[in-house]
Amino acid sequence: MSQLNQGVTLFLSLLVEAAPFLLLGVIFSSVLAVFVDERKLIQWMPKHPALAALSGSLFGCLFPVCECGNVPVARRLLMQGAPPALAIGFLLAAPTVNPIVFWATWVAFREQPAMVFWRVGLTVLIAVVIGWVFSVQRDVRPILQPMVARYLPSPPPRPAARDDFDLLSGGTYLLQSGGSALKLDMPIAAAAAVAAPPQSWSLRLRTLLEMMFQEFRELGAVLVIGSAIAATVQVAIPREWILELGQGPVTSIVAMMTLAWVVSICSTVDSFFALSFASVFTSGSLLAFLVFGPMIDLKNISLLMTTFRSRAVVYLFLLAAQLTFVSTLVVNLYTNW
Amino acid sequence: MAPKRFFLPKSLPWPVVLDILALLLWGLMILRYWVTGLMAVLLHPDYHWLAITAGWLLLGMAIWRAIALVRLRQTVPTEHIALLPRQWSLAILLAVAVFGLIYVPRPFTSDTALARGIAEPAGLTRSQPQRFVRNTPPEERSIIDWIRTLNVYPEPDAYADQPVNVVGFVIHPPNWPNDYLMVARFVLTCCAADAYPVGLPVKLSGDRSTYPSDSWIQVIGTMTTETLDQQRRLTIAATTLETVEEPSNPYEF
Repeated sequence: MSQLNQGVTLFLSLLVEAAPFLLLGVIFSSVLAVFVDERKLIQWMPKHPALAALSGSLFGCLFPVCECGNVPVARRLLMQGAPPALAIGFLLAAPTVNPIVFWATWVAFREQPAMVFWRVGLTVLIAVVIGWVFSVQRDVRPILQPMVARYLPSPPPRPAARDDFDLLSGGTYLLQSGGSALKLDMPIAAAAAVAAPPQSWSLRLRTLLEMMFQEFRELGAVLVIGSAIAATVQVAIPREWILELGQGPVTSIVAMMTLAWVVSICSTVDSFFALSFASVFTSGSLLAFLVFGPMIDLKNISLLMTTFRSRAVVYLFLLAAQLTFVSTLVVNLYTNW
Repeated sequence: MAPKRFFLPKSLPWPVVLDILALLLWGLMILRYWVTGLMAVLLHPDYHWLAITAGWLLLGMAIWRAIALVRLRQTVPTEHIALLPRQWSLAILLAVAVFGLIYVPRPFTSDTALARGIAEPAGLTRSQPQRFVRNTPPEERSIIDWIRTLNVYPEPDAYADQPVNVVGFVIHPPNWPNDYLMVARFVLTCCAADAYPVGLPVKLSGDRSTYPSDSWIQVIGTMTTETLDQQRRLTIAATTLETVEEPSNPYEF
């Protein structure tokens, strides 16, 4: 009974704590979809995969969303034709590389300010590398959920593809006043992006509201499932099993990465959580917690599955885990910090 | 004006109504935790404003959507990319909101503390020396203040005979003799998900069964050193021990 109570309290506390950040992400993502023509933004972005991934990583400074909120934005970027490197860079780095998280980590580790710079630096590095790796896949559609892939233009080998797309693909269309065609069986997200410019402000506001509802419904339900799993695992696995691993340079990193994955705590507040382990865990392992947790955890795997096929999620997970492990091990073994 | 194709049939658009209901209930659930003070059980006080703002926003969105529906009787077609079918998402959100509106979250108990492992001095406490105030008189230190003090200088004998006055809940560690109990608190850094217990041993003059597990006590006494579990530990020799009400905020920070 006490276990059940504990599990439910954990579950509700994760929900209530994550709800504001989820809402913030949903609002940012919907505003982005209705009011910002990302295709213009994307056109300004560098084409080289590494530079695109780097710009994607730094997008977080414009859209300060945590890992509950960045998936809808990344999905939107992909649907608007962003290069995969850019979207992946954003997906992995945005929860960490943004002003709110920077500030929170600074406050938490005031005694170890280097932690902030290591955290941000390693996150950008890993996000750029993974973004670059994913850019090798020229046609990104096979790794996306079919519902998302439907709205992507064909890959670059046909340079005119994007211009031809609206005319040469099948479906039902309405001719817009500007001569552009609105595809009727598009989802509201894509339809809003195509139809946004000629709309009145009141209609745009109502589209915004509609989208926020839709995304909150979908991501909220997934957050509920993720929080329920995280709470169950926290209650079921004795925490000291995880903690016993915490001393060696290798086991501490593995333990903290596992903990980050299980606890699924929001990136805006995870530095406070990590701080509670500061006295027994190696600095490298705390860094691993802070770098790896916001990229992939139990909660946001289910969110990622709304956009990527499971194969791509597995690749993301393995790459992020390996790169975090290797880089923080180097920190543990070769720095005195 | 919206193009005609956006008009729905005249009947009530139930999916939209349920959407509004889900957001309304979520907003109310969060605001209920705030109004009833239960939010203290779930979150660190620093983050209450965030959750409260979210609650008001959800409520506002629901009301805005309801007004739009009543005034304009129209909606934008919604097809969406989803892992879960719309009905499932709605059902999950509604179920959790209703549950959250009824359920009273309880702070963690001594069972949880024993399962999670109680932080030893020099153990799992936040190392935040800038918050350590050297001049705090010993009798004003809370349990976490004592543990932080011990982290800085772990020799128990250094605190011998200092006055103690702390409030916490009772834990009966299974390996300890019957005239010892632990007075403990959970420490929050962000939310209940990262709560960790800290505690101090208390030496009683009688048997600990007078003070059942999870009851709240105020312990007044002096510090001494005892050997428990083959470890020398800073222990409170209790002179006065009273049962008290559970504080409105059961955690320390």
